[in-house]
Amino acid sequence: MGEKKIHEDQKYIEGLLNNNSFIIQAIYDKFVPKVVNYIKLNNGTTEEAQDIIQDTLVTIYNQANEKELKLTCPFDAYFFLLCKRKWLNELKKSSKKEVTINEEILSKSDEAQELAFETSVFGEKEALFAEMFQKLGNACKDLLAATFKIKSMEDVAKKIGVTYAYARKKKSLCIGKLTELVRKSPKFNQLNN
Amino acid sequence: MKDQDYILFEEYLSKILPLDDVEAFEARLKTDLEFNESFNFYKELSSYLEHKFKNEEASKSFQENLQSISNNHFNKTETTSNIKEKSKTFNLYKYAIAASIALLLGIFALNQFSNPTYNDYADYGSISLTVRGSNNELLNTAEHAFNSGNYAKAEDAFRNLIKLDENNSELKLYRAITNIELNDYEMADKVLEDLRRGNSVYKNKATWYLALSKLKQKDNKACIDVLKTISEDADDYKQAKKLLRQLD
Repeated sequence: MGEKKIHEDQKYIEGLLNNNSFIIQAIYDKFVPKVVNYIKLNNGTTEEAQDIIQDTLVTIYNQANEKELKLTCPFDAYFFLLCKRKWLNELKKSSKKEVTINEEILSKSDEAQELAFETSVFGEKEALFAEMFQKLGNACKDLLAATFKIKSMEDVAKKIGVTYAYARKKKSLCIGKLTELVRKSPKFNQLNN
Repeated sequence: MKDQDYILFEEYLSKILPLDDVEAFEARLKTDLEFNESFNFYKELSSYLEHKFKNEEASKSFQENLQSISNNHFNKTETTSNIKEKSKTFNLYKYAIAASIALLLGIFALNQFSNPTYNDYADYGSISLTVRGSNNELLNTAEHAFNSGNYAKAEDAFRNLIKLDENNSELKLYRAITNIELNDYEMADKVLEDLRRGNSVYKNKATWYLALSKLKQKDNKACIDVLKTISEDADDYKQAKKLLRQLD
């Protein structure tokens, strides 16, 4: 992986990561119109396109934050493929059919396909994790929020009035519970196939 | 997995497992596939949670900023496409009326645009700085002052921020814009010249704002010279061309 050359468009990833309004604006000016066009040609409305684009940018932001996303292809191709994939999933969900899959809009390198695939799996996983986190009991949710926000486990224990050993043990069990909830969900199996 | 395994995972990850147990743990990771898989998944979720909570605020401010840029963008394009759709229903005599209105507008626009001003083009929106970085309070002040148009206060904050982070091109660009707003052109132009010659992401932006600074100083010749150096791949290329047409 280290061998791959980082594309100069990495600046868009950094810009998103730094919440840089200039860069975000540039993404909207340069790359968004094509996506809107595609979605409108495929049974979508402008409003739906707006949501898909926003969700996609949030996913890229999250991946960059958590996994140090390195762009090895033009942003244009990567972003378009991601939005397209998200839109096709959306159509599948709402069973609106007749999708024109126009592969000719861009010439997309394998690199872009691969990277877009990785990001979209990341996004779907995150969504699933978030959904399952909500299914945990309140005690677990509060404890996990506290342990990751407050650095020291001792302080966490003090804050919720339990011993340090108990807080740590509880944390392991809550994360364990979360892993089980995720594993049991049907969506997880689809993602892993 | 058993509860005991999750407790073990956590102890291993927080590095409080005794050395002997660490060895046993790592040996089991190599031989027990299911254990290994569960551990990696535990780690993945732990990392997910860590980022989710640590980045909550930054992520929220990113999403808010994104929402506002997105709304802006789509409102603009929506208005233009509405106009287009309506125009299809026009019949011939309406065209005549439209044409005369267009003519009047044209004359109006000609008058308007023959003297382009800094304010017609300076479109930097609001900035968001409070994402990462250690000096949050100062960043907050700078961001707030800049966005609310209190440029004197913003200048103060930017000056101090840059002292702490001398190579931060983003801060320099915002400071330069602040200086243009304060009519402190000497300072602004110097910073923008530096950025323009550098290799940061802000190179093109700096060139564009240098041109706008010259425009505000009513030095049209200098403005034209700078505009001509804006490269085709710059975000503001279209605007630059438009301004060039008006000035020429």
